[in-house]
Amino acid sequence: MVFFLGGIATNMNLYEFEGKNIFSKFGITVPKSVLLRREDNVIEKYNQLGIAGVVLKAQVLSGKRGKNNGILFAVSPAEAKQAAEKIFASNIRGQYVSAVLMEEKLNIEAEHYLSITYDTNKKQPVLVYSQDGGMDIEDVSEEKIKKQYLDIRQSEINSDIPFANELWRCFLQSDARVVEINPLVKTVEGNFVAADAKIALDEDAFYRHKDWNFEPRTMLGRLPTEREIEVKKIDEGENYYRGTAGKYIEMDGDVAVLFSGGGASIANMDALIQVGLKPDNYTEYSGNPPREKVYQLAKIVLSKPGLRGLWIAGGTANFTDIAATFSGIIDALDEVKPSYPIVIRRAGPNEVEGKRLMEECAKRNNLNLKIFGKEIAMGETAAVLVDMINK
Amino acid sequence: MSILINKNTKVLVQGITGKEGQKAAAAMREYGTQVIAGVRPGKGGEIVEGVPVYNSVKEAMSAHPDISTTTIYVPPFAAKEAILEAIENNIAIINTIVERIPIQDTAYCLAAAKEKNIRLIGPSSLGYISPGEGRIGVVGGPLSLANEVFQPGSIGVISRSGGMTNELSWQIRKAGLGQSTAVHVGGDLLMGTTYADLLKLFEKDEQTKAVVIFGEHGGGYEFEIVDMIKNKEWTKPLAVYIGGKFANLFPEGMNIGHAGAIVGKGQSAEEKKAALKSVGVLIADTYEDLVTKIKPFA
Repeated sequence: MVFFLGGIATNMNLYEFEGKNIFSKFGITVPKSVLLRREDNVIEKYNQLGIAGVVLKAQVLSGKRGKNNGILFAVSPAEAKQAAEKIFASNIRGQYVSAVLMEEKLNIEAEHYLSITYDTNKKQPVLVYSQDGGMDIEDVSEEKIKKQYLDIRQSEINSDIPFANELWRCFLQSDARVVEINPLVKTVEGNFVAADAKIALDEDAFYRHKDWNFEPRTMLGRLPTEREIEVKKIDEGENYYRGTAGKYIEMDGDVAVLFSGGGASIANMDALIQVGLKPDNYTEYSGNPPREKVYQLAKIVLSKPGLRGLWIAGGTANFTDIAATFSGIIDALDEVKPSYPIVIRRAGPNEVEGKRLMEECAKRNNLNLKIFGKEIAMGETAAVLVDMINK
Repeated sequence: MSILINKNTKVLVQGITGKEGQKAAAAMREYGTQVIAGVRPGKGGEIVEGVPVYNSVKEAMSAHPDISTTTIYVPPFAAKEAILEAIENNIAIINTIVERIPIQDTAYCLAAAKEKNIRLIGPSSLGYISPGEGRIGVVGGPLSLANEVFQPGSIGVISRSGGMTNELSWQIRKAGLGQSTAVHVGGDLLMGTTYADLLKLFEKDEQTKAVVIFGEHGGGYEFEIVDMIKNKEWTKPLAVYIGGKFANLFPEGMNIGHAGAIVGKGQSAEEKKAALKSVGVLIADTYEDLVTKIKPFA
């Protein structure tokens, strides 16, 4: 489930410690813990926790940290300090280690699995439970996994699964898309404890959650770049619902793209890679955004050093004003005056005027620019850009 | 013939006094669709785009009991209430253009609609168009563009993307073909009306000889098509494009937890394509290839 595709990145993935803070608000037992940041004094924090046997866990947004030295154990302050330093210095599959969570080590008798998410075919939430939880849950056979479909309008779940109702309330009241406890530990003492927490919040519900003040992050698990932070700001404030221009993911390639519309962006990214070019970024604007928003986005996209080309592409718009959105791009081109090749393919309302404005801009800035309309398919213009770059 | 809409369809616009609602009412009327009433609490008695405005759906329905389709043009935070109001008043088809509705609200509306057998198209759906019959929402854009892109024909169009509904329809037109009905189903994770729901209608529609789908990753909707074909509920030619191969460039870390993998076991893009191929669906590598693949059957 990669939600940023084709639309808005509607998933906000939380770190384990953030998830556990939410869990405990809903009455789900979590281990005693302290959070370590890079600047913290680990020995002080260890003593503050007051438990001899601890586990230290890297706070990253993806899983598999257990298999990548992201989880270490300690029984003394010195060991804890060493472990924390090791984790902070490590690279867990390219993920940024935001913090280290130091917790009491549980006496594990069994590891269960419990989650709630949306089932797209049934179009309703589903609770998934298994008594065989832990790292290899995806390999557990179907008959050992219990699924219970839930009506979003029900307030109680009729179930004796531990924490089922607490997790359901958490799912609903937090506007989550995924809540997962894996493992849900049964301790030797006979208690159930959420040893891990994975929560994905629904960003579309932000307006009813004034409490969502989380540290910056990207869908990719790394810290956002300066450009990504700048782009995100474009959609903030009173213009939030006036079209979208705040989606930008910086990548390793050298061809900048500026796409319009979610579906077209996906088709175009695929086409770009098919012709052998490497995207420098993924970005799209959609929903007829005002000129100013497009200008800001274009300017940031063009600010990247080392670009070899720019591809501006979109489908045949329904109601996006081509001349108006082009004007935003033109404002940026007038400032930056790129020397690398530029290929444009776009159609829709006001396309003739848009093309005229763009051609004038190319002329006055002496740009190496080719512009096409709907006489040619989007993907075909990627090949045009390849030719221009190779010349 | 056409699906979902014809010349007699009577349409209500909820949120007609807003900028988007007005634009949509004008676009529909311009294309010959009968928009006969609008709703906006507190603005009852006004006239917008030549259409009377009522304070509630109930008032609109008692004045115009033949309304069969409503279109929702309200802000995301008001969408749930507006959709539920339409459901309470038993309007058979609800087209929701609203984007960024919280998924929980969508799920709530879908549960309520299902109980009454009401069809919800969207959320995030620009609407649908049956060339020569009418359109719901703004699909196709201004009249001159809509007439350039759309003409009656034998190809049904389903798209997860609004822009691509138009772009794909244009490629069909450019190939000398026409469309029976083109539907933008919306790109949200939860789709009110799925590919399978529409294929059921296209199967019965004599005008439609073949269908193209512009799909996206996310959800297991393609597997419903596989089941339909196996059950002989869908028997016409079908070409599908599923975008998003480039996502392989990103680390897999974007999935959170295992819940998605367990609920959607066997639903990766490759598995989807293989399953569709095995029941005879034509798989297009690019969107323009959809038209090449389907043209012999038009």
